[in-house]
Amino acid sequence: MSLNLDPTLGLPVVYLVDDEDVVRDALAWLLRSRRLLSEGFASADAFWQQLQAQRGGDAAWPGSPVCLVLDVRMPGTSGLELFERLVDATLLPVLPVIFLTGHGDVPTAVAAVKRGAFDFVEKPFSNNALVDRIEQALALSAAELARRREQRGRARRLAELTEREAEVMRLVIEGLPNKRIADALGISVRTVEVHRARVFEKMDVKSAVELANRLRDAGA
Amino acid sequence: MNTPANAFSPQAAQRQRRRWRLALWSTLFLLLLVALTLLVVLTARHEDSRVQDQVDALATDAAAKVRSELLRSQQSLQALATHVPTPQRWRADASELLRQNRELLRIEHRTPDGQIDTAVDSPVAPPLFAMIGRDDLDFNADAACAAARHSAAPAFSGSYFVPLASGGGLEVMDLCLPVLDGGQDQGYQLATVSLQALLASALTPEQARRHEVSFVEGDGERLARSGLPRGMGVYRADSLVDLSGTRLRLRVDSAAGRPSAVPNLTTAAVLGLSVLLFALALLLARDVGRRARAEAALAEALAFRKAMEDSLITGLRARDLQGHISYVNPAFCAMVGFTADELREATVPPYWPPELADSYQRRQDLRQDPASAGLAPSREGFETLFMRKNGERFAVMIYEAPLVDGQGRHTGWMSAVLDVSAQRRIEDLSRQQHERLQATARLATIGEMASLLSHELNQPLAAIASYASGSLNLMDQPDADTPALLRQALQRVAEQAERAGRVIKSVHDFVRRREQLHESLGVDLLLEAVLPLVRLQARKSGTQVLTDLPQPAPRVLCDRTMVEQVLLNLARNAIQAMEHGSDPAARVLRIRVRQTHERWVTFYIADAGPGIDRELGARLFTPFFTTRSEGMGLGLSLCRTVVEQHGGAMDFDSPVPGTRTGTEFRFTLPAAPAPKLPANATGAPQTLST
Repeated sequence: MSLNLDPTLGLPVVYLVDDEDVVRDALAWLLRSRRLLSEGFASADAFWQQLQAQRGGDAAWPGSPVCLVLDVRMPGTSGLELFERLVDATLLPVLPVIFLTGHGDVPTAVAAVKRGAFDFVEKPFSNNALVDRIEQALALSAAELARRREQRGRARRLAELTEREAEVMRLVIEGLPNKRIADALGISVRTVEVHRARVFEKMDVKSAVELANRLRDAGA
Repeated sequence: MNTPANAFSPQAAQRQRRRWRLALWSTLFLLLLVALTLLVVLTARHEDSRVQDQVDALATDAAAKVRSELLRSQQSLQALATHVPTPQRWRADASELLRQNRELLRIEHRTPDGQIDTAVDSPVAPPLFAMIGRDDLDFNADAACAAARHSAAPAFSGSYFVPLASGGGLEVMDLCLPVLDGGQDQGYQLATVSLQALLASALTPEQARRHEVSFVEGDGERLARSGLPRGMGVYRADSLVDLSGTRLRLRVDSAAGRPSAVPNLTTAAVLGLSVLLFALALLLARDVGRRARAEAALAEALAFRKAMEDSLITGLRARDLQGHISYVNPAFCAMVGFTADELREATVPPYWPPELADSYQRRQDLRQDPASAGLAPSREGFETLFMRKNGERFAVMIYEAPLVDGQGRHTGWMSAVLDVSAQRRIEDLSRQQHERLQATARLATIGEMASLLSHELNQPLAAIASYASGSLNLMDQPDADTPALLRQALQRVAEQAERAGRVIKSVHDFVRRREQLHESLGVDLLLEAVLPLVRLQARKSGTQVLTDLPQPAPRVLCDRTMVEQVLLNLARNAIQAMEHGSDPAARVLRIRVRQTHERWVTFYIADAGPGIDRELGARLFTPFFTTRSEGMGLGLSLCRTVVEQHGGAMDFDSPVPGTRTGTEFRFTLPAAPAPKLPANATGAPQTLST
């Protein structure tokens, strides 16, 4: 089984946060054997700092599908605390979290899943099953990234419309024929047709229905 | 308090009693007053009537005297009339008569037609008819003579007043005596009688000093009087002097006036006595009042003491020298559940548990023994076991002191009895809690250890698993890098396997360190540390604990705390095994220690419970196996582990060898290389018992 992701989204990255170097290295090696790129962090704070830095430099972070494998119990900032920060920063859909739990942490992990974590895996884990879950998490992240990209493109296109074109588009979505649009705006039917064609071109759609769908998906 | 106490409340009853007492006393004083008043009045009245009677008697007496005087005069006059030889001689006789009878003032001899023939005036009194002639005052004399002639007997005239030349006058009356000679009327002898002189002769001088006597007319006018004082008009008596022809009213008037307030000694005495009586009654009343107050105070003090005794939680019990209960307070009754009457009537205290009654009786007999009489019970009290009416046994603390009466005689024993069963229960509970806490703590330690171990082992195992999985992944799709990667992975696997081995080794090291804590210890010391706890638990079910160890006690090499835990565990199991046995007397826990080998000391812990069947016995030492709902199932397994860590062995026999019931656990511990162990290590066993 291999991950089939939209190559335009870039290479997926798995972040590994565990205080145990041995576990981290072994996991990284395993992921590599499944051709997955990973980045390890020895503490929650280290990860959080790098995350902040990357988001500061690029508002659209992440540029590629990502996933976080997080140990629950760690010295310093615990996995749960980091998780709470991520929830507060509304990063969850694009950065799915998989918890690694030791003996006795299961209830905590279950609670975390209820709060939006992708999943938890008990140590010692069945290795390839963990990688499968990681790939599913990456797929989720990729879907979220694609949705965002779509949303951003639509906003950019809407911004390219002239005032008159936007007016014509609004009336087109309401379902008015060109004749009625021309009457409503006090312009000729011919001019309406020109505007309509430019709107379709700028919004990258071929019909009025497609236009309406695209705008509805954007929630605008 | 002799009034009926039927009021609703004590206050009301008291008020009613006070009113009742007040009424009684008021009545008493009123009656006393009435009686005394009556006495005084009656005394006064008696005095009154006595004086009156005296006066009455005097009046009668005086009247009789007057009459007899007049009769004597009459007879003298008759005599004079009868023997008249010559007129001279008559005159001389008459004079003589007048001199002898002072009351006669004048004697006349009259002719039958009433003319005065001869008259002789009293030589000792002034001439009577000097102022007014006899003729002018003859009316009365004529009437008397007419009456005398008519009746042919002497007759008196009414009294009349004759003025005297000296200014005063006299009240007189005439006595006319017809002189008959052979039936021939020879004329009259007429005597004029002075009423005053009559009166003077009627009283003795003694009487005259205190009474006035007088003749009065019907309307009360005084005709003549005699006596020294004037009458007071209070005690007065009239007496009639009947004379032929007239009637005189004689009046005696005592000089004594109204009796004064204290007329005489009698009344004074009565009054004095009354006052004294009153004073006494008052004193008595005050005394009674004081007594009533004292009684009330006493009753209050008694009620207070009773309330105190009743409110005590401590049971109080008084016994005489024979052990019979003479007093118990409600707290004691509530404690044992018998009523005071039941306790007093019982010959053997019903709160003695039947199985212990004999030993209690011995204890009591011992105390009555005169030889030990001097042995006062200790002030610290002693603890013993009582039985409630429902058969429940409970521990009590008794503080006893001799009862000594007012003459200093020792009459019995007073005991304060405290129910300490609740206290014992709390002690038991806290001990159990303590044990549970300890167990929990041990469990927590085990849990923590397990957690630590599992974490320490999880990391390398997880890593090994990762490398293994990754390697398999690589081998599925081999490429040029695969051999190098596999080598790397296997190297890591080896490292992690070694790491896991180190973890295991560290656990071994820990156990070994523990072994180094073993010390050389006397078995007696081990048992001493454990027995108080064991006995505490044994007492609850009435189990007897017997220990049997050689003297001197063998020494063992052990981890003291761990072995104590083993002993405690085994003893507790034994006690619990007997808890549901039918016969409490058979509940005996035997702890026996023997040096069974030069290098080994064996401990035997035997109970008399139902024993362990073969099937159960096979699983007995399995960890987490338990027959109790709250047990962890680690007890026996841990015990065996501890014993084995010491190099010893643990086993059990059920039933106990030589008997048909019970279970005997035994374990061995290495004997300490004791300094100079005596040849006969198993000396005479010493037996201790609770």
